[in-house]
Amino acid sequence: MSATREIISSGNELAAIASVDAGCMFFAGYPLTPSSEIMHVVSDLLPKIGGAAIQMEDEIAGVAAAIGAGMSGVRTLTATSGPGISLKAENLGLAQMCEVPLVVINVMRGGPSTGLPTRVSQGDVAQAKNPSHGDYKSITLCAGNLAECYTETVRAFNLADRFMQPVFVLLDETLGHMHAKAEIPTAEAVKEAIVPRKTFTGPAEEYLPYGVEQDQPAVLNPMFTGYRYHYTGLHHDASGFPTEEIETCRKLIDRLFIKVEKFQDEIELNEEYMVDDADILIIGYGSASLAIKEAINILRKEGIKVGMFRPITLWPSPETRMHELGQKFDKVLSVELNQGQYLEEVQRSMGRLDIAKLTKTNGRPFSPSDIIEKVKEL
Amino acid sequence: MSKIVMRFTGVGGQGVLLAGEIFAAAKIKEGGFGIKTATYTSQVRGGATVVDIQLDNKEIFYPYAIDSEIDFMLSVADVSYQQFKGGVRDGATIVIEPNLVHPTDEDRKRWNIVEIPIITIAKEEVGNVITQSVVALAIANTYTKALDKQLLIDTMLSKVPKKVHELNLKAYELGEKYANEAMA
Repeated sequence: MSATREIISSGNELAAIASVDAGCMFFAGYPLTPSSEIMHVVSDLLPKIGGAAIQMEDEIAGVAAAIGAGMSGVRTLTATSGPGISLKAENLGLAQMCEVPLVVINVMRGGPSTGLPTRVSQGDVAQAKNPSHGDYKSITLCAGNLAECYTETVRAFNLADRFMQPVFVLLDETLGHMHAKAEIPTAEAVKEAIVPRKTFTGPAEEYLPYGVEQDQPAVLNPMFTGYRYHYTGLHHDASGFPTEEIETCRKLIDRLFIKVEKFQDEIELNEEYMVDDADILIIGYGSASLAIKEAINILRKEGIKVGMFRPITLWPSPETRMHELGQKFDKVLSVELNQGQYLEEVQRSMGRLDIAKLTKTNGRPFSPSDIIEKVKEL
Repeated sequence: MSKIVMRFTGVGGQGVLLAGEIFAAAKIKEGGFGIKTATYTSQVRGGATVVDIQLDNKEIFYPYAIDSEIDFMLSVADVSYQQFKGGVRDGATIVIEPNLVHPTDEDRKRWNIVEIPIITIAKEEVGNVITQSVVALAIANTYTKALDKQLLIDTMLSKVPKKVHELNLKAYELGEKYANEAMA
């Protein structure tokens, strides 16, 4: 186990500190409740280490500037909430198509539209899978406690450079604003684990950023280093210039999937809480898991054996493990602060429809008693 | 010490959040677990704000106070008092700012309602209305005996600018004095 330290802080502040520790040198964005503290903190920290943080004129410009910084070779961040992701969606599609690494933190609040700005929700889980039009494979991580606001942000930066694409980190209002102790890795341990993104070091005339094996991400050299680049949202060939050639177009989109699917074991992360001897399985994630854990502890004192499976990587989903658990457990309850966005993925993975659900969309968190009551009904 | 759950309520802009952070941080310094959560509305000022503080020697998973488990509440605004009083355990103490909060007769039977003019103390005796969160901190700790006084004061001082240390120390002492008088 690497060295750890204790910090007393909020989830938003921890995510901001994690970004800087993970080597982020650029932030561009627009303040949006309940994510704004991330921008406040990186605005303070980045200039001190030679980085930059810019408040742009709107959400769209925020992600556009962040993508530009990603193209120039630095680790880069934007942070917002659901309404901001809606505005950023088109450019997030561009980053998927061009294979530009970028970390996008979404501190979820009640939606749709402006919704409930100061209140908790998990309503952007489906959005994180496909924020823009077109086909690509989302990588979405979801913190379930304060420490993970830090560790999942670090992991997102590493995965973005490894897979060359935007990576989402989902927090929510509860995690973003709750204030307590978190035990997290030291900044040194995080820095030591950074693997720089791949670059091409051969002759400039042989540089083909998208001319990679079918299971590999693009190799994008930083701009202005003597290698010619061409970025386009159009389908493109190995050089990055537009093409409509049939096989090239097919292979490009196939590769956006294969590069992620083939290496899912590098991305997948789950927590299993008291699952081994349980009779009932709850599936939950994010801040809802805090109420679930409390409920499980109370139920077990009453002799009701409940366990929780918590995906930390939401997309791609842990479908194989969920399938196994679906065979093992008769009674499965899906708990989420939306109308059942992940429930559909649970049903698909388990290959069954008889999954009980507990949902809430009034901006209030689950209380342990909500969950206890539902479990007793099963 | 077993678990202590406190709730501070006010309206947006009054600064009740800080008192919660100080309590949580001090408890963690002591070696235990402390969590502060805040709930507020999207109004910039004037919306009901509630801060829940949980202090325990065991790890706390669920970050919000659970209804009927709140041992102590302090309120400086009627809108949030009315909205959030229901979570307070029967017989527990609720300290109110009497100029702004208006409990019913039934409330006075159900809880030990204590009137301390927190805002007036901060404004007129300490000399700065912003110190009301430290006056509130002192009152809450005097009632709950949650934490060692010096530990709490040291934690408080580490979170406020040096030039207002004297002012905040004065606020703490006055808060403690009024609480002791009310308890006598």
